[in-house]
Amino acid sequence: MALIERYQKTTDIGYWEGQIPMSYIYTVGRAGEKFFRELMNGKIFGAKCDACNIIYVPAKIFCERCFARLEDKYLDVGTKGTVHTFTACYETYQGTRKEKPSIVATVQIDGTQGYLIHWLGEVDFEKVHIGMPVEAVFKAKKDREGNILDIKYFKPVK
Amino acid sequence: MEITKKMVEKTATKLSAEEILGGNVLSVKWEPNLKYAWDNGPAIGRYLAELKKGKIIAKKCDKCHRILIPPRMFCELCWVPTGEWVYVKDTGIVNTWIVGYVDWKAMRLDIKGGVRPITPGIIEIDGATKGMGILHHIGEVDPWKIHRGMKVKAVWKPPEERTGSITDIKYFKPIK
Repeated sequence: MALIERYQKTTDIGYWEGQIPMSYIYTVGRAGEKFFRELMNGKIFGAKCDACNIIYVPAKIFCERCFARLEDKYLDVGTKGTVHTFTACYETYQGTRKEKPSIVATVQIDGTQGYLIHWLGEVDFEKVHIGMPVEAVFKAKKDREGNILDIKYFKPVK
Repeated sequence: MEITKKMVEKTATKLSAEEILGGNVLSVKWEPNLKYAWDNGPAIGRYLAELKKGKIIAKKCDKCHRILIPPRMFCELCWVPTGEWVYVKDTGIVNTWIVGYVDWKAMRLDIKGGVRPITPGIIEIDGATKGMGILHHIGEVDPWKIHRGMKVKAVWKPPEERTGSITDIKYFKPIK
């Protein structure tokens, strides 16, 4: 009998709300420290493994193929790249609809085997294509905080 | 152990909390918004609604005839749906209790500064089957005078302050 008791009004349904307090701080590490400090200078840094002839972007402290240490092999790789993959994003982080879709792309930095995932700007979605040459647009120097958003977006190279 | 120590010395960077919080090293801070809502269900839903009215309600099992508090829709011994709703009293006896020196965040209470230790206990509610009880605070008593079988009565919040929560009862106090 009891199991067929039903709520007559949805307002009768009670619930308890809670929030789990959880926060974290992630330090960027030694190679990250180099990469993001140089990002504040408007430069993108990678690390080169001479044995494997590979340039990693972002910079890292060791080669993931041969385990060689790369901490003295950091180098400026320039701010230009090509679109490797891309997609349009219609929702905000909170899940609400965006007025205008934003474009997210994986950009391969020219001359390297490294990729950065970032926004594309100053371009219509219809015009974006794989292999499109792009370059990083940085925030004003005073606004840079040492994170990936110091690059505002990548824009097509004219 | 020796190898681990060498590896740490060679590769790891020791950082103090001050270095991280002071911004000496770059870091990313994040606070995920972990909200949840937990459905009361029919049994606890009614129980909380009755608490708001200043009443304690239980539920009876038609098979084993136990009166279950807090109420549930299912008898855990007989494995059958429970039957009628039964009002029980707001008095009872202390079944078990503890004298606690830490709060719910595990922070030490300032006992020397005059803070009273917390004394949660299981209160066997009068009218429910013996052994059936609810967890609540015991108040208005020297923590070390609490004893098993002590008669207690609920101290309710004023009706306008009640929210339909177990804290609508402030605590249980001893009665003669």
